[in-house]
Amino acid sequence: MKVLAIAVSNIRRMLRERSNIFFVFIFPIAIILLIGAQFGGGVDPAVGLYLGDDGRLATGIAEEIESDERLDVLRYENDEDLTVAVERGHIQGGVLLPAGMDEVAASGEQVTIEFVARPDGFGQQLQQVVAAAVSRVMTPVTAAQFASAETGTDFFIALDVAVSGGVPAPGLTVETSALGEAVFPDTLGQFDLGAAQQLVLFVFLTALTGSAALIMTRQLGISHRMLSTPTSIRTIVVGEGSGRWATAMVQGLYIMAATFLLFRVNWGDPVGAFLLLITFAAVGAGAGTLMGSIFQNDQQAAGISVVLSIGLAALGGSMIPAELFSDTMQKVAHITPHAWALDGFAELVRRGGNTADILPELGVLAAYALVLILLSAWRLRIAITRP
Amino acid sequence: MSAATRIAAKDLRLRLRDRSAIIIGIVAPLALALILSTVFGSAFDSSSLDLHYGIVDLDQTDISKAFSTALEGIESEGILTLSEFGDAAAAENAIEEGEISVYYLIEPGLGDAVFSQQEFTVEVIGDIDAPTSAQIATSIAEQFGQGISTGQLSVGTAAVLASPPPTAEQIGIWADQARQAGQAFVITDVSAGTRQLDQTTYFAASMAVFFLFFTVQFGVLGLLEEERDGTLPRLMAAPIGRTTVVSAKAILSFALGMISMTVLVVATSLPPMQATWGAPLGVFLLVVAGVLSAVAIMGLVASVAKTPEGAGNLASIIAVTLGLLGGVFFPLGQGDDFLAKLTLLTPHAWFMRGLADLAGGEEWTAALPAVGALLLFAVVFGSISWVFLLRRLRR
Repeated sequence: MKVLAIAVSNIRRMLRERSNIFFVFIFPIAIILLIGAQFGGGVDPAVGLYLGDDGRLATGIAEEIESDERLDVLRYENDEDLTVAVERGHIQGGVLLPAGMDEVAASGEQVTIEFVARPDGFGQQLQQVVAAAVSRVMTPVTAAQFASAETGTDFFIALDVAVSGGVPAPGLTVETSALGEAVFPDTLGQFDLGAAQQLVLFVFLTALTGSAALIMTRQLGISHRMLSTPTSIRTIVVGEGSGRWATAMVQGLYIMAATFLLFRVNWGDPVGAFLLLITFAAVGAGAGTLMGSIFQNDQQAAGISVVLSIGLAALGGSMIPAELFSDTMQKVAHITPHAWALDGFAELVRRGGNTADILPELGVLAAYALVLILLSAWRLRIAITRP
Repeated sequence: MSAATRIAAKDLRLRLRDRSAIIIGIVAPLALALILSTVFGSAFDSSSLDLHYGIVDLDQTDISKAFSTALEGIESEGILTLSEFGDAAAAENAIEEGEISVYYLIEPGLGDAVFSQQEFTVEVIGDIDAPTSAQIATSIAEQFGQGISTGQLSVGTAAVLASPPPTAEQIGIWADQARQAGQAFVITDVSAGTRQLDQTTYFAASMAVFFLFFTVQFGVLGLLEEERDGTLPRLMAAPIGRTTVVSAKAILSFALGMISMTVLVVATSLPPMQATWGAPLGVFLLVVAGVLSAVAIMGLVASVAKTPEGAGNLASIIAVTLGLLGGVFFPLGQGDDFLAKLTLLTPHAWFMRGLADLAGGEEWTAALPAVGALLLFAVVFGSISWVFLLRRLRR
């Protein structure tokens, strides 16, 4: 009962801190929202478009490029803004459609279209995608020029014939198919990946920054006072540890519930997801309690908590998925508990696994938790009983 | 030494002795910049896309060979590399091994189909996790296909329009001519400069400016601690003006910010990170203007908060929000959409933009627009904070 009382008082302290309303409840959701808006559903290459006029060819080419689903097409009001956007890396390449293309084509001349790319990006490669779109529009134009020159017919009449579809020109069809199993399947929701990544980051962060609360408990002499009551050291140690675990659980359950309700995030098999959260929060609680029993200065502990939680999260794949890491870095990533938790969520969410499928991940996380909890119990016992 | 600098120097000694400022101002940004640039560098080895394509040509006619030749032409421009495979199984194996990301499969019959104006399908088979690579491969094949249909369409359109209708001989001549004729368009390359930071410099700079907004708190927010601890009334009892006390705290903030930023710029320029910050004078001006804007904004927090704890919390919330919106963790917005505009409301974004403008070996003057924007933040928030802080001390 006393263990419960200590744990509950820890949650109450967390909720009473007004800034925590921001850091625990608003901030994680804001990040998930921003990441989903920015990267959700994969990042398509972005191409800028500037139209010198709204003639038939310019609008035709623009619409053709815009109809490519795998491109993010942004229109620019002038060519300078487009060039700067390429230079800043906001877009990978830009298409400048000059004014007067219709007249140039009608006179039988070649139309010059400019493609702006940086030498270091993959704009050069992207130019092939743009060129294919341009050539779809320009094929009838080339044919009309040819026919007009050979028969003396007006160019635009020839163009109407060429685009009418009445002339057979089967050319080639290109069919694209994909091989293998997607690391990030199309069924993955816009916020699914980011939500699991941020859940892991924030549960650990909240558990670790809780070390400052533990340090204050010790500094203010509360733990000594608790000791003077008929309360065993074991109870205090377990209570404080449970306090860290309970606050981490509040954070985790909140993120799961809020992202499910707000963004319809798919967490996969509920039992599996809950077990992952419980064990991962226990890892965080162990780490937080350990920090709280080693450090003497709460400001220092807070600073190091932030570095550790962001650093481990980044290494573990909370910022970019570890699947995209190099082989060496994937091994490094799996030193962190974060990578194991994220593997577990990937199994549940992306591959539709259940609890049995994530047993290895749960096992590794439980081992982390056990080691950290034992270590922290030992250190905390020393820290509390030290006069 | 004036009273203000004397107070600031005393506080500075205190802050350096308490290791918190060093952890926040130097250790944290340095460690995180190192970790983040390693992690992101590992995921995106370079910003360019390495296209390794394969081709399986089971047709072996002039047309199918022309396609290989066209691909080799693109290969010689350095856009992709091409390997030939005897059959589809070998090519699929190469995809699984990660040697190629995409292969073209040309079944027998391509040559015949083109000559008899029949439909024919070229297959592009790609690794499911390399969609952009497959998209580019598809586009290249489509362009080749458009070339064929251009010839077919040219002759066909001329035949429809000609009167009297052309003879078979005339059509043969046209077909040859159409094959020789070029396309009605040409795409020329315009090479753009670079105004973007490399991965390492990006995180060196973003972590530096992110933690800057925490580091300067140790100065101006100290005013509230003095108020709480009762040392402020004692300070006010001395024959020094209110402006001196406020200046002292602002100087302390500025000094902490400058020390932190200078150490970080120098340390991240050295191995193992070797960030390239750009023209030194430009970087210096950005740092000074950036630190001033941070002091000004945190000064405002100090002037409105009631307690040191409240001020610390509010300051952290503002620092984290501005950092996130300013793109210190990941760039926000694309093109000039709403998020891209929103991000420019933060000093962080301007600091990063100034550095990006210096990238690619630009002169220091390239940073001046961003320096101007940062100074605007400093002047606006600085003057409001100044008035508010002085009013607070009058009480």
